[in-house]
Amino acid sequence: MNSENHLPAHEGCGADTAAYALGALEPAEAEAFERHLEGCVICAEELAGFQRTTDMLAPSAPQYAVPSGLRARVVGGVRAEPRRSGAADKRRGRAWRLIAPGGGRALAALATAVAVALAAAVIVIRPRLSGGPGGARVISASVVDSAGSARVRLSGGRAELIIRGFPQPPAGLIYEVWLKRPGRVPAPTRVLFSVTGHGAGDIGVPAPLNGVSKILVTSEPDGGSDVPTHPAVIVAPLS
Amino acid sequence: MLRAPDRIRRRGLRLLSDHELIGQTRAGDPVAFELIFDRHADAAFSLAYRMCGRRAVAEDVVQEAFLSIWRTGMRYDDARGSVRAWVLGVVRHKAIDTFHRETAKTGRDVLDETAAERIPASGRIEGEVERREDARRVRAALTGLPSEQRHVIELAYFGGFTHSQIAGLLELPAGTVKGRMRLGLKKLRLLLDPPSGVAS
Repeated sequence: MNSENHLPAHEGCGADTAAYALGALEPAEAEAFERHLEGCVICAEELAGFQRTTDMLAPSAPQYAVPSGLRARVVGGVRAEPRRSGAADKRRGRAWRLIAPGGGRALAALATAVAVALAAAVIVIRPRLSGGPGGARVISASVVDSAGSARVRLSGGRAELIIRGFPQPPAGLIYEVWLKRPGRVPAPTRVLFSVTGHGAGDIGVPAPLNGVSKILVTSEPDGGSDVPTHPAVIVAPLS
Repeated sequence: MLRAPDRIRRRGLRLLSDHELIGQTRAGDPVAFELIFDRHADAAFSLAYRMCGRRAVAEDVVQEAFLSIWRTGMRYDDARGSVRAWVLGVVRHKAIDTFHRETAKTGRDVLDETAAERIPASGRIEGEVERREDARRVRAALTGLPSEQRHVIELAYFGGFTHSQIAGLLELPAGTVKGRMRLGLKKLRLLLDPPSGVAS
């Protein structure tokens, strides 16, 4: 955006309109152009037309089916993190800043879900407690026939399942977290999750954990189950 | 397998438009969000894959994009186009954000055609045939542009490069790059979105 474009006069307008529509202006230039737009109907009209055109470009890319594991991860992330109605309005003002270049870091962590491998036999878990920062307790867990690791971090009555280096859930399945109390069938938490492309995930386990002896993870059909339909692939003993 | 209440809700929500589903999503309805995902995830993944050139990175970009829509309750502005265009805009921003995080950009323009499954020829969802026809029209229009205009548009849109970066890549003055973008978009606009009375 050159300085002439800030002037009310329309002569010389338009030099940056296409680059702006393509998202190709440098940040400072884009801000200057946005200020210019406020007072320039000509550029605003041209931009609207260009944006309709650029909106049509994306589908011209070769089309692929979304990997099934990706759906499971996204759905798992959403189910794991229910959003209160009205939260949108509170966050509206910062929404687009979050997706602006450099702002995505705030979202990087959320996408993580968790992962474990599905297998027939459950490895016996040997709990190993260790102190964590701020008085947190970290419980090591083993997993079933899979690379990677799993542990549970307990702090202030809350639990977080931390998984690294795990494979995606099998096609059409998603991981579900269960709370096991002595003498009772595992209770569903409705926390469904998967892993990132790198096999990592951090996921909150809903409280209360009173009386819970184990946190279990199983593979379940997409959408989750009310009772486990597969063997546990992670068992984290809490007591 | 969805739980019974979710199955019932899903059946009902399936009748809603994208715009209505976005409203439900902003209200915190995960089933509505899943339907939005199902309707637009293929296009989102395809765009991310086209931009990133690596399947794993594309998957992360799409995951981040959809979860950010869910988490932040971004407001869809219908004056700006369809929900699909809006979703793809979020994906594109995420991909560019990823480029900025990564120091190396090499390889992202190279598609591994064997790594992803092409969408079958039969329409997967309502409107897919029409969308494929639109995509064919856009590809034809892009191909019809002079190569110097097409290159700068593709580098900017799919590559996420700024005009300054493109100028450096092509060893051109920045003004020339902007000029080519403008000429190219004007031609595309005429071809794809002609004013009334002008045959496309």
